[in-house]
Amino acid sequence: MNHVHALYHMVRADFLERVRRYSFLLTLAFAVYLGWGSATGLIVVRLGEYRGIYNSAWVGSMMTLVGGLFISLVGFYIVKNAILRDEQTRVGRILASTPMSKVFYTVAKTLSNCAVLMTMVAVLAVAAILIQVFRGEDTHVQLGTLLAPFLWCALPAMAVTAAIAVLFETLPVLRGAVGNVIFFFLWVASLATAEQSKRDDFAGFFVIAHSMQDSLRKIFPAYNNSFSLNVGDSNQITRRFVWNGVEWTGAIILHRLWWMLIALGIACVAALFFQRFDPARTWAIRRKEKAVAKDSTVVQISATPAIAAHAAVHLTALLAGTQKNRFIQLVASELRMMLKGMPWWWYVAALGMLIAEAVSPTPIARQGVLIAAWIWPVTVWSQMGARESRFMTQSLIFSSAHALQKQLPAVWCAGVVVSMLTGGGYALRVLLSGDVRELLAWMAAALFIPSLALALGAFSGTSKPFEAIYTVIWYIGPLNRAPGFDFIRLAESPPWTAYYFVLSIALLATGYFSRRARMAYV
Amino acid sequence: MKLLIEGVGKKYGGGKWALKDFSLELSPGVLGFLGPNGAGKTTLMSILATVTRASEGRVVWDGTDISSDPDKLRSVLGYLPQDFGVYPNLNAVEFLEYLAAVKGLDAAASRRRIDELLNLVNLNDVRKRPLGGYSGGMKQRVGIAQALLNDPQLLIVDEPTAGLDPEERVRFRNLLSDLSGQRIVILSTHIVSDVEATATDIALIAQGRLVAHASPEDLLREVEGKVWEWVLPSSELNAAKQRYLVSNTSRRSDGVHARVLAAQAPDGAAAVAPTLEDAYLYCLSNHRAGAAA
Repeated sequence: MNHVHALYHMVRADFLERVRRYSFLLTLAFAVYLGWGSATGLIVVRLGEYRGIYNSAWVGSMMTLVGGLFISLVGFYIVKNAILRDEQTRVGRILASTPMSKVFYTVAKTLSNCAVLMTMVAVLAVAAILIQVFRGEDTHVQLGTLLAPFLWCALPAMAVTAAIAVLFETLPVLRGAVGNVIFFFLWVASLATAEQSKRDDFAGFFVIAHSMQDSLRKIFPAYNNSFSLNVGDSNQITRRFVWNGVEWTGAIILHRLWWMLIALGIACVAALFFQRFDPARTWAIRRKEKAVAKDSTVVQISATPAIAAHAAVHLTALLAGTQKNRFIQLVASELRMMLKGMPWWWYVAALGMLIAEAVSPTPIARQGVLIAAWIWPVTVWSQMGARESRFMTQSLIFSSAHALQKQLPAVWCAGVVVSMLTGGGYALRVLLSGDVRELLAWMAAALFIPSLALALGAFSGTSKPFEAIYTVIWYIGPLNRAPGFDFIRLAESPPWTAYYFVLSIALLATGYFSRRARMAYV
Repeated sequence: MKLLIEGVGKKYGGGKWALKDFSLELSPGVLGFLGPNGAGKTTLMSILATVTRASEGRVVWDGTDISSDPDKLRSVLGYLPQDFGVYPNLNAVEFLEYLAAVKGLDAAASRRRIDELLNLVNLNDVRKRPLGGYSGGMKQRVGIAQALLNDPQLLIVDEPTAGLDPEERVRFRNLLSDLSGQRIVILSTHIVSDVEATATDIALIAQGRLVAHASPEDLLREVEGKVWEWVLPSSELNAAKQRYLVSNTSRRSDGVHARVLAAQAPDGAAAVAPTLEDAYLYCLSNHRAGAAA
């Protein structure tokens, strides 16, 4: 009983700490956007030219699919900071001194991650009810039918996502950007594998999809088995059919419960790697210790200070005129700060892509490389506007003169330099071909990415929203060519270039006013 | 050079006033800002550093209200917050170079300055080590260095000696004394010995209000003839504590030696020379008694 009580309070405290943060609003906004997108037909589930009529079974399943697809991806990035936060707030050190076991901790973190993700899913469930009522294709709301896919598909999906997030946090090599990239490909691979093998996937995607397909095949034997969850192609739908939902048999439910058990298993495995906030046992510290061991000067510091403590100390006055607005110098500093800490292979890969952009023979190949080159620096951009909160340097930066008018634009300029450098090979080829329209489109995209990063970073104070939202935009836009989201191929539909320039200005304004709101005086 | 604090107050969510009707006028010298935990010191420091907006009143730097032109103060400000972070992947030089750029220092001047500051705070040997590997005291010294980057006319240091070892603490005190000549230094702390060593003026704050503002000598004069050393059996110590303000006790073979603050000498007590700590405790005790009444 005591364990249950303790677990409840650990999960509750962690959950409340997260949802009371400013950045949680962004998380909810994302869920609301998904709901809005589904309601307006921006996001559609279609089986070739068919879709189901909007009864409880269809809207519940459709929103579960939307949640399973997007929240399991974005949500991972949102919740992958549960242990980090305990480290940063130093609460972890207090927890470590209690009798709490490692398994207990990782399970509690998994549950609180899951609670956060299910809050987003709950928004989609509410949206499902509203969609059914306002669409009016079948106004008889059957709550059980509508909520069943959320319970049997979305909940296990969120549990697995939550547990993987905890596992990745406990593994030093997967904690940072590498883990983020690996998760993305793992996520894509898991869905692709499940589709090909016709096996139950963690999101329950194909349980629902196969039920819809079977049902449609019975009504229209000529149906070609196609199934998609797409953004922005609702005009392909010309026919509707009645689908009464998945028949939740014991076997299906058992399969779905297996995923819950797998989530629990992952949480337990995470406990094996969890270092219980012991700085001496973390990989990073061990690495530093190696460096310290090589550096004998460290011993000298504590043993023999270079200058006697009681000796008179004197600081030379600074010459007049040394303090001015030096914007370029500041941009260079911001750029160095952004890139500092990236491993050598990151630069090698970025350089390789830069060269490939310039030398690839076809425009399609060059676009393909540019798509990869503009996801590569995601963790570089994601620091923009959020670094000061993350490292608690706000009071140092915000008490400097012209911090808003100078430092914030410098951050943006540094971000633009990163996008222009990483996409520079592509721009060079466009420049040589003299295609002004393509060059403008490239510029619009190169300005859009850092503007989005700055806006989300300054608004939320964390790097997670950008990492999550940008990854999704990149996935549905450049990778899946959803109209409006594909910022790599803006030149193919010219108005979008102008829209992206306007969007960048709006995002910059959001960044400016978000930072302004955090400063006492401007 | 003048810093004027006029009726400044800060109200936090929930209606609690962390600072109320606080007024002070400062000219060059070191102001030791003393008060117990939660007295409102850090709130006032962050208001003066333009990081927090006052709910009422105004702060005027050389004739300019900081709410209308905060950059006038920021360009001459050095601020060491009580809690601050560093970028763990940067070394001390890179971190200071970055902050020098934010403060608008030119590259050559900032390099020279950083060299001098790293020597001054005794971090020259570890200047190339990532800050993530620094101890708390070493990070605090980086904080001290960044506060001095722009040769500030107003230097605000909030609990600057927290985490420093005794040797570094003495070095820092000496540095503050050296800096005090042509600038205003505000040293906020609850460690009386730090203030004793450096302050030319002392402000006492309690429950968000200014309790006293005087020179150390004036504060000591206030408590002159009110500090006693009283030797009593240990069994009577609790009763004595109920009657008098006991600032210190030590057990010896002849009984407990209690340092007592009182207007009248307890029976058998001998007068002793007051310290600044006695004066601090006496003022706070009087303030609490007044507030309770």
